[in-house]
Amino acid sequence: MAERRSAVILVAGALALLVYALAFASPYGLRVLTVAGVYALAAFGFQIVFGLGGALSLAQGAFFGVGAYVTGILGSRYGFGFEATFPLSMLVPLLLALPVGLAVLRLESHYFALATLGIAQVLHLLAVNLPELTGGSNGLAGVPAAVLFGRAVQRGLPMAGLVWGLVALGGLIGWRLARGRLGRSLAMLRDDPLAAATLGLDVGRLRLAAFGISALFAGAAGALAVHTQRVVSPEVLEFPVMVSILTIAIVGGRGRMAGAVLGAVLLLHLPEWFRFLERGYLVVYGVALLLTVVLAPDGLTGLLDRIAARLFGRRPRASAVAMEPPRPPNPPDGLAVDDLRKSFGGVRAVDGVSLDLRPGGITGLIGPNGSGKSTVINLLSGLERPDGGRVRLGGREVTGLRADRLARAGLARSFQAAVLPIGVGVLEAVAAARLAVDPDAATAEAHARWALDRLGVGDLAGQGCDGLPAALRRRVELARSLVRRPAVLLLDEPAAGLTDGEKAELAVLLRELAEEGVAILLVEHDMGFLLPLAGRVLCLDRGRVIYDGPAGGVRRDPAVAAAYLGRAVPA
Amino acid sequence: MAALQLLVNGVALGAAYALVALGFVLVLNATSAVNFAQGDLVMAGGLLAVAAAPLIPLPGIVLLPVVLVLMAALGLLLALAAYLPLRRRPPVSVFISTIAVGIILQNGAAILFGPEPRAAPPLFGDDTLHIAGLAVPEQSLAIVAVAGLLIGAQQWVFARTQLGRRLRATAQDPEMARACGVPVTAMILVTFAIGTACAGAAGLLLANRYFVTPTSGGDLILKAYIAVTVGGWGSVPGAVVGALLIALFEVGVSSVLSYPVALGALYLTLLAILVLRPQGLFGEAVRRRG
Repeated sequence: MAERRSAVILVAGALALLVYALAFASPYGLRVLTVAGVYALAAFGFQIVFGLGGALSLAQGAFFGVGAYVTGILGSRYGFGFEATFPLSMLVPLLLALPVGLAVLRLESHYFALATLGIAQVLHLLAVNLPELTGGSNGLAGVPAAVLFGRAVQRGLPMAGLVWGLVALGGLIGWRLARGRLGRSLAMLRDDPLAAATLGLDVGRLRLAAFGISALFAGAAGALAVHTQRVVSPEVLEFPVMVSILTIAIVGGRGRMAGAVLGAVLLLHLPEWFRFLERGYLVVYGVALLLTVVLAPDGLTGLLDRIAARLFGRRPRASAVAMEPPRPPNPPDGLAVDDLRKSFGGVRAVDGVSLDLRPGGITGLIGPNGSGKSTVINLLSGLERPDGGRVRLGGREVTGLRADRLARAGLARSFQAAVLPIGVGVLEAVAAARLAVDPDAATAEAHARWALDRLGVGDLAGQGCDGLPAALRRRVELARSLVRRPAVLLLDEPAAGLTDGEKAELAVLLRELAEEGVAILLVEHDMGFLLPLAGRVLCLDRGRVIYDGPAGGVRRDPAVAAAYLGRAVPA
Repeated sequence: MAALQLLVNGVALGAAYALVALGFVLVLNATSAVNFAQGDLVMAGGLLAVAAAPLIPLPGIVLLPVVLVLMAALGLLLALAAYLPLRRRPPVSVFISTIAVGIILQNGAAILFGPEPRAAPPLFGDDTLHIAGLAVPEQSLAIVAVAGLLIGAQQWVFARTQLGRRLRATAQDPEMARACGVPVTAMILVTFAIGTACAGAAGLLLANRYFVTPTSGGDLILKAYIAVTVGGWGSVPGAVVGALLIALFEVGVSSVLSYPVALGALYLTLLAILVLRPQGLFGEAVRRRG
């Protein structure tokens, strides 16, 4: 239903543009339309790296400029044809993006913005100060028209046709990427990079892919811009290009390919209505950008969606047919931890903890608040790096490995406060946990449905995560761990906030999982829940293990009692 | 002797950069938001001085309080339009809203003043003093003195007054400050006013010897950003030291090679620092707020 509606709107929009271009547009109007297409293409790439990936790249304008210069230099100086210059205009920005991305993509977002802006400035300086190559501040004139199938694409209708044909192609590719595994993984790590890593997503690699793709789109757009203008000058590397792309993406709607097209057509025509501002037309962009960020953060496409939802009702969330996810071929047989240590400043949060999680066993980890339980889980799941000690996963040394590697090696964890994404459907949120392993998003959703069914909450699949009651949130969170078929499962207070009945159900489920061969570590305060379940219990106090033995003995242990009640340990 | 001469020039430039970076880092600490408009605010302060100069035919130092007050008002406006509506949203929203404000300032200035470089009047006089063989322009001394005074005043307010304690509490932990009865929103507004006034003062100081054009904000925000990164994200003394280092680097390399080379080298150094030592040369002062 909703799909068909979007398709109808898209086709209607395309037809309207076509009719305008063929019947009404003046030569100048066609030129504006062509440039709008060029910017839409550049904005597609920006939607992927920033809209979906959340990495504010201020180099998108620079990649556009590099693409423009490659076509300009090779075309006007060396007489290369379109068939060589166009691919090279995409390739050179990509080759520039990869090493830069490798170096700075793991940095926090403000540093990433700064680094990409720095690169843009360096490129602009080079373009102005290397006149032998770039023509200096005058640039290069006499760039030939694009030649396609032996015919020169003249300015006007043919060029508009070429550009908008490529916009259609690029938009389709971008749309498929955004809806598929890559787009969903990017959105996941944009919203919560820590959770994304614990679900096995490699933050750096995904961002690098997004950055590379953004460079390809920008380079293609730059090449087309030069074929439209027939000259290339340092203007293509100046900040206004970046500003335009940013404004188009945000005003159109973050992360949406349709938003990029809508934003580009609208914003490229906007200055025509503010002619009196002359070169100051960018003031209008600034105002549009500010108003959108403050008043309509989802942009125009978001507004249209909301209006459509008002008129035709909410689009139903897709539901999938359940499919059991396969078990990994050689699951690691348990987790062995030896003498784990971690200090924060002068505080020894974890001080020589050893434990052994066997397949099929449930191990309890207890201790007063601040005794280091959550730090142990953070260390084991790779969110913190241990200062000392060894961790082996199925005999393999994994000490200090990154969270996403540990997750892919068969480890899953839950968080004390359930960290479900905002504004995302339950099925999608659980499917996100399979993105690192499944071949496509549809398979991931089928597997997610299986996990939800198994936890008895299959009917939540069509709902949103927002506003779920605590107990159901915990279920959904658990489904995210379960769906990955982990060999080792670390649970941080999974029973907190549950009623007695819900706790009993959870206990049954955990027993089942253990019988299937999962090694479980259970951090818990509720002894009534934990002790019947766990075979073995460890008690931590100030980072040290003060009890390690059968669950039955823990209540009678004087050291444990002392730790909880605050008495001195009798010598 | 030539090195000493460069040192004098570098310190004067660095004093002005220090004001820019100081304003940037104060807002950063109070809101954990990157104010991308800081460079354009410097430009606005400079052009404000240029516009006010014919109306007040006195030395530039008289313009300083006028610029400070008007820019503080602009800072309040900036906070109301681009920060307060977005304080519950991800930090990148403020980054973008301040980019938008920067675009508006830059292009608004281009419409009002045109693209030509303009110069504001000198603070005291245009003479050059000759001290032990060094040619020291009066303006350079005045820049160092005024910037030093303003930074000192800011430090005094923050360290010694009740207002300063409240501002620091807000910067350290807004939730806790609110719980203790500090009017956090008002403190954030004051911080924006102070940060923007710093930018405006820097604009007035720079607009005499280095001229001002509507587009000069772009390089300045990068330099402020670099100063804060070099000095350790969030560290106030680090930002001042970082600004001085950048200015000395710029003046030194420009004298041997050229200004574009100096700028390019500066950005490449920045990239190297980000890759090798992202916590800055002196360590990061703020950890990410959870």
